Amino acid sequence: MKRNVPLMIALLGGLLMIIQYFIPHQASQDVFNYYTEWAPLVGAFALILGVGSITRVHVHKIRARAPNWPYSYAVLLPLYLMPVFGLMLPVIMGGGTDGPGFFDFMYSRVQIPIQATMFSMLAFYIASAAFRAFRAKSALATVLLVTAIVVMLAQVPIGDLLGRWLPDTGLWILRFPNLAAKRAIELGVGFGMLATCLKIIFGVERGWLGGAGE
Amino acid sequence: MYETIGLWVAAIFTLAVFSFLYKENPLYRLAEHLVVGTSLGYSIVLTYQRVLVPRLIDPVSHGENLIMIVPAILGLLYITRFFPKVAWLSRYPIAFLLGTGMGVAFPYDMQTYILRQIQATMIPLYTPGAPWYDTLGAIVIVFGTLAGIIYFFFSKPHKGLFFGFGSKVGIWLIMIGFGATFGFTVMGRISLLIGRVQFLLGDWLGLLN
Amino acid sequence: MTNRWEKMLNIDRRWLYLLIAIVVIVPFFIRMGLPVVPTQEVRSVYDLVDSLGPDDAIFIGWDFDPGTEAENMPMGVAVLRHAFARHVPVFITAVSPLGQGLAEQGVASVFDTRVPGNFVYVPWAEWESVREAGYVGRDSLESAWEAAGNPLPEGARGWVFEGVDYAHLGYLPYFSLVILGMGTSIANQYPTDAYGNNLHDMPMLQAHKNLREVDLAVTLAGSSACMWWILYGTSRVGLPVAFGVTAVMATDYFPYIQSGQVVGMMGGLRGAAEYEVLETEGGYTETTGKAYRGMDVQSLAHILIILLVILGNIAYFAGGFHKKTALKSRR
Repeated sequence: MKRNVPLMIALLGGLLMIIQYFIPHQASQDVFNYYTEWAPLVGAFALILGVGSITRVHVHKIRARAPNWPYSYAVLLPLYLMPVFGLMLPVIMGGGTDGPGFFDFMYSRVQIPIQATMFSMLAFYIASAAFRAFRAKSALATVLLVTAIVVMLAQVPIGDLLGRWLPDTGLWILRFPNLAAKRAIELGVGFGMLATCLKIIFGVERGWLGGAGE
Repeated sequence: MYETIGLWVAAIFTLAVFSFLYKENPLYRLAEHLVVGTSLGYSIVLTYQRVLVPRLIDPVSHGENLIMIVPAILGLLYITRFFPKVAWLSRYPIAFLLGTGMGVAFPYDMQTYILRQIQATMIPLYTPGAPWYDTLGAIVIVFGTLAGIIYFFFSKPHKGLFFGFGSKVGIWLIMIGFGATFGFTVMGRISLLIGRVQFLLGDWLGLLN
Repeated sequence: MTNRWEKMLNIDRRWLYLLIAIVVIVPFFIRMGLPVVPTQEVRSVYDLVDSLGPDDAIFIGWDFDPGTEAENMPMGVAVLRHAFARHVPVFITAVSPLGQGLAEQGVASVFDTRVPGNFVYVPWAEWESVREAGYVGRDSLESAWEAAGNPLPEGARGWVFEGVDYAHLGYLPYFSLVILGMGTSIANQYPTDAYGNNLHDMPMLQAHKNLREVDLAVTLAGSSACMWWILYGTSRVGLPVAFGVTAVMATDYFPYIQSGQVVGMMGGLRGAAEYEVLETEGGYTETTGKAYRGMDVQSLAHILIILLVILGNIAYFAGGFHKKTALKSRR
């Protein structure tokens, strides 16, 4: 019940889906259509796991007065207030999902700027890394650096000022040698994915059973 | 009013995050925590509105499509994760989604990542009338891809003309590929920063018109 | 001698940060307006959208999160403008909840009539009376709407009727399966749109019931979710797919362009700038937008980074750190 039944579900589900791909009969199509309606609904409940575990971690931090515990309120308050305002409170009290309201405010004026800025900081880090870490220590490293420099110049308008050959060379690198390298890598990844699919379906890979007790 | 306050709050949080570049500080830490709770809170509302209401609550409350209760019960089993004694039940929805997901993906993965890619590598080396750089390019695609694959093929020692030379060509090409990615990564990072500067200078301070 | 190089390499990184900050701020005030030459990869996307009309339909997948908004948003806005100007019906989807909110922002920027050259949005409920009189086609709808006392505001480029020109389908989880499901029926996957309207009634859903009846999907992505459109759209029903991806990912997808699985690609802010240039050349916009404006900054920032790489290497080799004991790092 605890291990074999889930393994059987994965095996039957996987085989059923592979088989239905090769049988374009109406019955198989109907099964498939049901499946595409069911799966997102099943998957939607996985969100409860995320909400539950994050709540547990932060409630624990607050109770234990762990270092930086007051910040845990900054996680928990929006987590629970957004559904309350978005789904339960009337517009007149700042509720509802359309702006102006608490829900819209937290998303568009807090979430978006913070997340976008966090990603944009990588520009600073890459500049620092460019100075401190990218060394032409070997022939291969030099090839990497030279290619990077050509491509960087080719991708910006200022490259055009140095002559049309520069962007043309950059594009040639992208369209041919880069393509060959990426295709070799992607083929490797592709075979890896196929192997993973089969391993999971046939129960060779069982890592996903973990974390739920015996 | 709402707009103005919103603009200022967004600008303050933008600067708060940037302040980390100078030194870690409480305002940055506040922003860091807010983003976690907010994105999850947002996801709860959207999942409820976009999935649970139209697929489950609406039809079932009207007595239609009652079969949707089955996937709902399956999904609810996720909650057993929080009760150690019955936590194993949470494997059922995972098994369902994972098994079927892999089965669905298998033929499409094969088609997209393998068959079409191999097909696209089998191209004529020379097309009459093509400029020399395209011909060179075609040669690079055909032999370069092969060399790259040889490099990743570890079941044979990389010796001799085919495996030895092949893997050498392969690694050189892969370095070119990584170089291109590095160049583009720099470009992408700078673009993201440009976006924030445009917000601060343009939307907030109104200096860019 | 060595000491000086060591000192240079161990410079407080905050000075480097300051340099970057200067380089991304100053060029906004001394505009160079360097020309951006569109590449074939972007032109293919533009040409395909440009060949479509009111009888066709496209999807725009808002498949990114706020983190990569700066790169992906201008692409989405550019394609949206192009499609609206040509009256090509646009379906909007999102693979993540946050993407749905971003899509709303992107669309809102095109519907902001305070800005000249934008479009006037007519929500589904608002043109109900015209619909009840009998909907026969887009042209007659527009004239009936204007005849009902709704003149096009000055400076606006045109109307966008929800349900005819535009439908915001929004976010759904397990989007790979949603794409597969839409191969059979779009309305089965999306009983309602993001605003709760019934999709079955909308004319654009009746004309385009599934992905087989759709002419292009443009996925704006900051993750490999863009591949789902090829895996489950192109492979299953032959849906043409174009990519609008972040620069970090762009180099990985050249194999799929050459194999014909992807129609074309906008890579990063530069890709968006190219689309804006094509649109302005095509007469769809008066001026280029945010992405093009960022290109001057991009140019200078690249030069700075290249200089930093070169300087770093000079210090490294001149200081002899390549043959001696490792460089002592201060922090």
